[in-house]
Amino acid sequence: MNTILILIGKIIVAVLRLFKRNAGNLPGIVLWHLTRGKCCKMFKINCPIIAITGTNGKSSVTSCIAQLFEQNGKKIIINREGNNLDTGFCSLLLRYCTLGGKVDADYVVFETDESYVPVIYSQLKLDTLVVLNFFRDQLDRNGEMETLIQKINGFCKSFEGNLILNGDDPNTARLGRANPNNKNVKYFHAKPYAFATDTIFEASEGRFCPFCGETLEYDYYQYSHIGKFICKKCGFGNHEPYITAENIDLEKSVFTADGHEYSPKINSIYNIYNMTAVAATAKLYDIPQKVTHNVISNHIINNGRMETFMLGDRKTTLNLAKNPVGANMTLRVMNEMQTDKELLFVLNDKLADGIDVSWIWDINFSEFDRVHKVVTSGIRAYDIAVRIKYAGYPADKIIVCPDLDEAVAELAKTEGRKFVIANYTAVAPTRSALIKYAENHGGKNE
Amino acid sequence: MNKIRILHMYADLLDLYGDSGNMEIISYRCRMRGIECEIDQYSIGSPKPDFSSYDILYIGGGADIEQQRISDDLIKYRAEIEEAYKNGIFMFLVCGGFQLMGKHYRDTNGKDIPELGLFDYYTVAETDRKKKCVGDIAIRTEFTGKTLDIVGFENHSGQTHNVKTPLGEVLNGNGNTTQGKNEGYFEKNVIATYMHGPCLAKNPEISDYIIGYCVNRNNDIPTELAPIDDTIEKNCRQIMIDRLMNN
Ligand SMILES: [Zn+2]
Repeated sequence: MNTILILIGKIIVAVLRLFKRNAGNLPGIVLWHLTRGKCCKMFKINCPIIAITGTNGKSSVTSCIAQLFEQNGKKIIINREGNNLDTGFCSLLLRYCTLGGKVDADYVVFETDESYVPVIYSQLKLDTLVVLNFFRDQLDRNGEMETLIQKINGFCKSFEGNLILNGDDPNTARLGRANPNNKNVKYFHAKPYAFATDTIFEASEGRFCPFCGETLEYDYYQYSHIGKFICKKCGFGNHEPYITAENIDLEKSVFTADGHEYSPKINSIYNIYNMTAVAATAKLYDIPQKVTHNVISNHIINNGRMETFMLGDRKTTLNLAKNPVGANMTLRVMNEMQTDKELLFVLNDKLADGIDVSWIWDINFSEFDRVHKVVTSGIRAYDIAVRIKYAGYPADKIIVCPDLDEAVAELAKTEGRKFVIANYTAVAPTRSALIKYAENHGGKNE
Repeated sequence: MNKIRILHMYADLLDLYGDSGNMEIISYRCRMRGIECEIDQYSIGSPKPDFSSYDILYIGGGADIEQQRISDDLIKYRAEIEEAYKNGIFMFLVCGGFQLMGKHYRDTNGKDIPELGLFDYYTVAETDRKKKCVGDIAIRTEFTGKTLDIVGFENHSGQTHNVKTPLGEVLNGNGNTTQGKNEGYFEKNVIATYMHGPCLAKNPEISDYIIGYCVNRNNDIPTELAPIDDTIEKNCRQIMIDRLMNN
């Protein structure tokens, strides 16, 4: 039976290839129906599977972990196109498996949608689960985040594999207590960086201890609700870190972990956390230090995630923001930079973005340090302009340009370091508009 | 009067779809007129507030699961809130806040959870997911004395019945009930609505109605609020109204 199903899947993949179409999710969706929802169960994977999940940073961390193994000479399978549901996983494996369902690789590295962790890994044996963080997402605002954590927690109750958790995120660290018999729980942690605060600066959740309800106390907040926390009543938060990022200096872009110094190319506290998760995974799988160093120091992303462009001679950084945390991240990097700056914010409300844009009100716009102009664009250009106006930014410095090319031209015409924030469906058109402007005005996509 | 005091209740538990933004908007619009605005927060575990000392009581919306916990807490202050309401405190209530002031909330098991009972509407939980009221909404109001169309974003499954004086008539969207006719609840000193977004972002007239009410609450001679350039807000609203009406 399995063989027939796999054959069907492989035929769909081949036919789609014939028409030069990316197979995408379709083969997986077909098999999902044929197997009544158990489309991952057909495969026999004898190598370790490493899954990466969390609200923000999945793609970066997945790609880096894959490189750890690749550069160490291993054969890996990875989902690069963000196809991170069970049907995506199935479609991917169909390309690599034998008709018997055997998958030939040394490691499978899979970025996994948060809600699909229990679905997929109840069908396939998972070696390591890396959980980065949990933030309230715009699509996820009816107490659904708690439901999501509960689901993964349920999975963790009987999971005995490696669990690499962000020890500074109470929403994530709580998973470490799901199975008291699991000896393979490992927390990553970071010492405070220069812009860590004593009080919370950005909208957040998870104020209360999930075990006893007491208000969590923090030594410091790095960003949002990420920081060194403790429950004074039941001790939640007193876990020993497996690896700690310290001596974090974002001006020089360096940090150390386990005594090794790294100089990442992406310079933000968010990236430090992501790379600490990568370092933890490297430590767990005994990756040679040279390889880890290379991966962490050379990691860049060219898909609108902290991507750099030159608009003429004006340096421009584009970053995706799917939620307030993502937007706060760019604003933080922007405000921390000691120079004159200008901002472009592109906001859409297509189905994939979440039809509601009120999450922009959870972005912290209260500080604009040396930001001399704000341009807004996208389908909801006016909404983001209203938001920034009410944060207290002078209304006469806000320019609304729903047309993207006009918005980019408006941004480029004045002096200053440029920052561009775009939400999910806005990233690709914004990237194109920036590249187009750069091509016509002598800049380049770095 | 040149100072407005606001009591924002359960901000940590009830903050959906930008509801806390309403406070940012009211402070901004006060600041632009040289009116001082002070916002105090109250939540479960805080000391008992002196309701009589406030001009505005504000409650936003949240996850349905929080509702019981909050109504248990809120009901302790029933007498004080009723007195403040009778003395003319302005009550601005969004979604969960709107429901909490009604007679009861009938949960999915058919059990009536008593609410504050300040107004005689009541809410029934809707279990049919298809009847959930989600999306942008436009309504026609008269609360300013003129016809005014306003917009917001609704997301609720509760069906609020027996509303005698709604805030407006639904032009596009659901309102108090699925595919309903009316939206919200209105009295001279009460605006209750299901509209998030936050509600005040695209509707500066609501903010100014509330601020104007407070400024004139104890004055015999009504004062006009200095105008603010609302071009961005009004453009923003018009785009949404056009989009909804062309659907
Ligand atoms: Zn505790």
